[in-house]
This record gives sequence, C-alpha cells and structure tokens, in this order.
Amino acid sequence: MEATREKVMELATRIYELDGEVYRCLGSSLGRVYTGSRTDCIEGLARLMCSGRTAYLLRSELALVGNMARTIPDKDDCARVMDTYNALLREVQSLPESFGTVDIQDKERIRLNQVNLRERFSENDHLVICIGRSQGCAGTDIGFALADALKINFYDTEIFNSVLKRLQAEQDQVPDSTGSDVFSFQPSGKKHSSLRQWLQTVDRYHGLPKEDAVFFNQSDLICQMAKKEDFIVMGRCADMILANNRIPHISVFITAPFELRVQRMMETHGLDHRHAARLLKKLDRRRGRYYRFYTGLEWGSPINYDLCLNSASYGIEKSVELIARMINRQLPPPEQK
Amino acid sequence: MKTRLSLLAGVVTAFACFTPVAAFTGSSNTGAQSVPLWLCIPFAGLLLSIAVLPLVKPDWWDKNKAKAVIFWSLLFVIPFAVTNGVGQAATVTLNCILDDYLSFIILLFGLFCVSGNITLEGDLVGAPRVNIALLVLGTLLSSCIGTTGASMLMVRPIIKINSWRKRKCQTMIFFIFLISNIGGCLTPIGDPPLLMGFMRGVPFFWSLRLFPILIFNMVLLLFIYYWIERRAYQKDIAEGRKPDISRPGTRVKICGSHNIIFLVMIVGAVILSGTLPGLSAFQDASGAVRGLHFIGVSLGYPSLIEIAIILLAAWLSFSTTPTEIRTKNHFTWSAIEEVATLFIGIFITMQPALMLLKASGSQLGLTEPSQMFWAAGALSSFLDNTPTYLVFLTTAGALGFTGGMVTSVGTVPTQMLTAISCGSVFMGANTYIGNAPNFMVKSISDENGIRMPSFFRYMLWSLTCLIPVFLLDMLLFFM
Repeated sequence: MEATREKVMELATRIYELDGEVYRCLGSSLGRVYTGSRTDCIEGLARLMCSGRTAYLLRSELALVGNMARTIPDKDDCARVMDTYNALLREVQSLPESFGTVDIQDKERIRLNQVNLRERFSENDHLVICIGRSQGCAGTDIGFALADALKINFYDTEIFNSVLKRLQAEQDQVPDSTGSDVFSFQPSGKKHSSLRQWLQTVDRYHGLPKEDAVFFNQSDLICQMAKKEDFIVMGRCADMILANNRIPHISVFITAPFELRVQRMMETHGLDHRHAARLLKKLDRRRGRYYRFYTGLEWGSPINYDLCLNSASYGIEKSVELIARMINRQLPPPEQK
Repeated sequence: MKTRLSLLAGVVTAFACFTPVAAFTGSSNTGAQSVPLWLCIPFAGLLLSIAVLPLVKPDWWDKNKAKAVIFWSLLFVIPFAVTNGVGQAATVTLNCILDDYLSFIILLFGLFCVSGNITLEGDLVGAPRVNIALLVLGTLLSSCIGTTGASMLMVRPIIKINSWRKRKCQTMIFFIFLISNIGGCLTPIGDPPLLMGFMRGVPFFWSLRLFPILIFNMVLLLFIYYWIERRAYQKDIAEGRKPDISRPGTRVKICGSHNIIFLVMIVGAVILSGTLPGLSAFQDASGAVRGLHFIGVSLGYPSLIEIAIILLAAWLSFSTTPTEIRTKNHFTWSAIEEVATLFIGIFITMQPALMLLKASGSQLGLTEPSQMFWAAGALSSFLDNTPTYLVFLTTAGALGFTGGMVTSVGTVPTQMLTAISCGSVFMGANTYIGNAPNFMVKSISDENGIRMPSFFRYMLWSLTCLIPVFLLDMLLFFM
C-alpha cells in the first residue's frame, strides 16, 4: 500500500512539475492550472488519483495542462513537453480505478491524532497551539496562562494590529471578529463619505473586502511566525490556516455552559444578565460565521479540533495543566511559576 | 456510458425544441418546399459533433475537427447541388462565405489581435466584488465597442486577476451572458442585428430605450452570480488559497494601451460598414450596393473598406506592440483557429435553416411581442442572430401595423421591435454557438487553465440562470 502511495505521489509531483514547465515555456502571466502551494497541489492530485469516483476530474485537469502545452510557441519545447504529457497520461490511465480499501480510517487524521500531541512536531518544527474559544469561558486567560507556563509567546490582538499596520489601515475601520475585546466587533458606523475615500479603500485592500484582506495578511503572518518561534494564538482560524499550509500545530477549543459564561461576563464586564446573554449570543454567532466563512467548517464542532475542553469542569489552572499534559510538557511546580 | 446516453437524449430534446427542423414541422408551405427539411440535418449533425465529440473523443476531435466541418459542409452542399443545381449551390456557399463569414471572421480576427496586445499588470484581486465591478464595466462597454470587442478586451484581465482561484468558471460563464451578449443591446455598434435594424431605418439611439431592460437583466444576473461566486470564493479560501497582497496598495498598469486607438479604428470600421451602404456614392442606378462580383455573388465596397481597415488595425497593432506583451497575455492563434474552423461549417450548414426561416417566417403566425421575443431568441441561440433578427423584423413589418417605428420594411410597434431586438441579442447567450464571442471566451479560458463546462453543461447553466430571467422579461416588458 505504501509503495502505491509513493508511486501516486511521484506521479502527482511529475504532473505538477509538468504544469510548471508548460507555464515557464509559455511565459504567460494569466495563471497556470495548479495555482496553489506545491504541497497542496500535489496532495490534491494524489487524492484525485486515489479516488476512482473523481478520476474524471484528474483527466480534465490533465487536459487543461495539455491545452496549454499545445500552445507553446517553440516547436522543440512543445514536442518535448507533449512527449512528457503523453507519457504521464498513459501512466495515469493505467492506474487502477481506486487504491483505497473499504476502511473508515482517515490516515491523515490518525497520523495527527497521536495520544501524545507533542510527537507530531519534528525537531525543526515549532510548538504552535491554536486556541479557539467561546466568549466568557476564560479561554483567553487559559491561553495566556499556558503561554506563561510554557514560556512561549502569546498572540491575540497583536496579530490583528500588526496586519493593520502592514495594510496601513486604521483600527476603527476594520472590526476584529475573533479578538478578545468584546466590544471591538461593533462597526464604527463610518462609511465611505466620498468617491476618493472609496477609491483609497479599494487601493489599500486590493479590491477585496477589508475583512478578507486582513484575513489573508493574518494567514501570511501566522505562517511566517510558525516557521520562526513557538507560540499560542487565539482564534483567527489559525488552526485551519496552519493545516492548509501543512504546518504542524495543536488545535484546542475551549467552551463552558452558557449560563456560567453569562455569569462570568456579568462579573468581568459589569453587565446585567439580559445584556450579557444577548452579547454572548451575538459574539458566538459572529465567531461562528467568521470561522465558517474562512474555513468552511463548523466552529466549535469537536471533529475539527484535537482537543475540546469544558473549562468549567477544570477551572483555569487545571485546564492549563490538562493541555500541558496532552502535549507532554511538565509544568514547573506552582511556587516556581 | 449512462452519462453519454443522457447527453445524447439531452441534445435530441434541445434540438427538437430549438432548431428550425422542429419549428417548421407544422408549416408545410411553398417557401419551405423549395428547401427540404432534411437539408438541415448537416447543421444539426455539426452542432451535435461540436457538443458531443469533445466529450467522448477529445483527442480525436482536437486533431480532426476541420475534417468533421468539411464532412458536414459537404453533406449539405452536395445534396443541395443535386436538388437545386451546381450553380445555385456554388452561389449559396460563396455568398455565405463572402457576405457573412468573411466580415464576421475578419472582425473577430482584428479584435482578437488588437486585444491580445493589451495586458493588465498589477495586484488587483479577483474576488466577488471586483469581478462584479468588471462585469458591469464590460457589460456597459459592450454597447460602446461591441460585444466582441468588449469580450476580447476584458477576457484576459479577468482571467489574470482570478488566476489565484481554483473555482472560476462561473465568472467566465456570466462573462459570456453579460459582456458577450446582453450588454450589446444599447446601440447598433453593440451587436450586428441592431446594426441591421439601423440600416433598415431604426434610429441610431433608439436602442437606448432598452436600457431599463438591460439594467433589470444585469441586476438579476449579477445577483445570481454573486451568490454562486461567493460560495466558490469561500470554498477557495477554505482550501487555503490566497492571493499575493503582501505589498501595501494596489498597483494596476495597462500595458499596450495605445492599442485602444486600433480598437476604436475597428469599431469605426463596423459603423462605416453599416452607414456607407446608405450613401448614394456606394449605390448603383438600381439602388443596390456597389461591389466586386464573383459567380453572381457580390462583395460590397463598404464591406471591403471594413475589412481593409480592420486588417490595417491588426497589422499596426502587431507592429507597434512588443512581443513580451503577447507572451505575458499567452497570445496564441489556437482560439481564433478553432472559431474560424467551426464557424465556417456552422455558416455553411445553417443556410437551409435560414432559407426555411426566410421563406416561412411570415407564416408562423407570430403576432405578439412575447412570441417574437421567444421565437427570435430561440433561433438566435443556434443560428446567426443577424438574419434571424431581419426575418422577424420583416415579418413584423409585414403585419400591417399603423403605429410604431417606421422602418424600410414597414411599421413595427415599438414593443414588438423591443422584443425582437432583445430576443436576438440576449438569447445568443443560450449556447456556446449563439454568438461569436461566446466560443472565443470559452477557447481562451480553456487555454488558460479554466475548466469550462461542456456544450450541454453550459446549456444547463443558461437554462437555470438565463431562462428564468427571460421569463421575467417577457412578463414585465413584452406582455
């Protein structure tokens, strides 16, 4: 089975490289067939090859590469590339309908879901913990305490602010949908008052909605940071951003019963019960929408995280200990902290 | 295999609904008798080949489409020569090549060459809002420089800014709907049928009355597009695709912008081809347009002037633009070659269908604007929309109305003229072959890594997105 997987990966790599070669020979700037990251594209191709049901997609993608290859102006290059293309096509056609056995195992997930989560990181990888949380469950406090205990950096609104600086945008223009500040999500009410301002906005965000431009920049920043340092990041769909970029990480979701969260909100923000409950529902809805939009997944659904935690069952300190135990890190005794 | 069979069943149903063969089965009239119905089989066969062979035998089709075109063309020409005489067959074929196909392909060629020398550089990102803004711009531009001109000008920039995306065929489909077809309804420059109307006495700015209909269609279609595009955009982001926006600020630069002059030159040539035949200097004593004559077929001087100007513009564009721009634009001849090959066959084999239409158009019993809208539209989906428009305009003119637009073919009520114009222009979007730019956009997209739907899948898009909008058009504007 492993040999077949290797063969498929090798074939996928060659298809990806052929597409690159075709694009190089053309000198076009209109985009190639496989435009994502190399690893993503190769993985995607391998998945298509392994699934008999989607074999037609692979054939039509290969046909697109062929369409481009046929238009290479240099005849020698064209003939060379078409030879490679035809050879690849033959190999793809000779593949069996499906390599999969009728099993329920998701190998990717099994590989990730080791009991000791720390083992998923190689020596060269940095420890990155992504914490998603519902408002009022003390998730931010747990994240901060964990970062303190593990002696690693903690990022929440810092990432957002850094992105705004990069985009040369003002904070009140873009709401921070996943930040810890409960009142930051409320729009400032400012609208583009003139055509000039509207054009400035288009220019600043490359024609994208502000939130999307911020998200794309946050994605870049989180991936860059994950290659340089150990850290804990709160929200921002960091778990899926890192998963999409094949960067090892641990994803945790923390929540607590609604009524307890309301009580905590009332105490920490000095709100009455009605307002606190309404605010919590609003924030949960907003975070759910944000997560669903940028990841296509259900926010807070256990199947999307390595670990889901009811903070009310443990309290802040014990929650920190529990997460640390899961990643096989011995915390220093309380007096040394 | 099941899919293929269902595709075949689909095509039979589609042709039964739309082709003249079905449209005229109930009308055995004298005009139709001179052209037997079975002579339309090569046309249906060619359409079937275009629709089915790229799906079932893609490699064979890629290498042999010219042979298929020749086969179906001969299958019309030879029996036609047997039934009507060799001279008649030669005249019909030559007339269709010189009078219709030549100016059609030269215009397409000129616009293809000139627009291929204009490229957009920068980091504007293809996302729902930007795509909608560009589709609106292109739709409005279509009436100023023609649907073909706007399509050729806008297709590459839209492909380029969306190159980071995986799911982008919906953008190209709505591009075809709006820029390649519907947008051309406002002026005679927009789409050839309206130019024919202008030549028959419809005032130049009359079509501006279609603006509310255009806006209605554009808003509805863009609303549908937005939801489809937003879903696709979301899926792309969820898969981890992201554009490169690391540099602050948006840089947009148009390279080869001097080619806009040549584009204007081509648009001018099209306007000239519509206005010159009306001048006495270009008419002989009998009022016919002067020109060159070959075997009873004439190529008018206005057409020759148009061809000369377009070819000059293409040549100037090529000689004044650096090759690098064409390389960046992935400029190749394949798209125009494919369209030239397929459309010569379509033009030749659709002759019997057009003859039947001309002979029987007035006997179809169409008296209501809504009927004209659907009849002109359904036939424009598969046939050349210019003769279709003319047939229905002539039919409407002969109905004996006393109020409305006075044209050289008779008085046509305004609502009926609106219905014929909208049907002919809008419904060219129903199929890939309904209007020339449709196939060009498909070919250019195919060449640049966009998986465009097959002939039938595209029709499924038009059935689900366009037809409901056209039904609303009928209820609101033509009842």
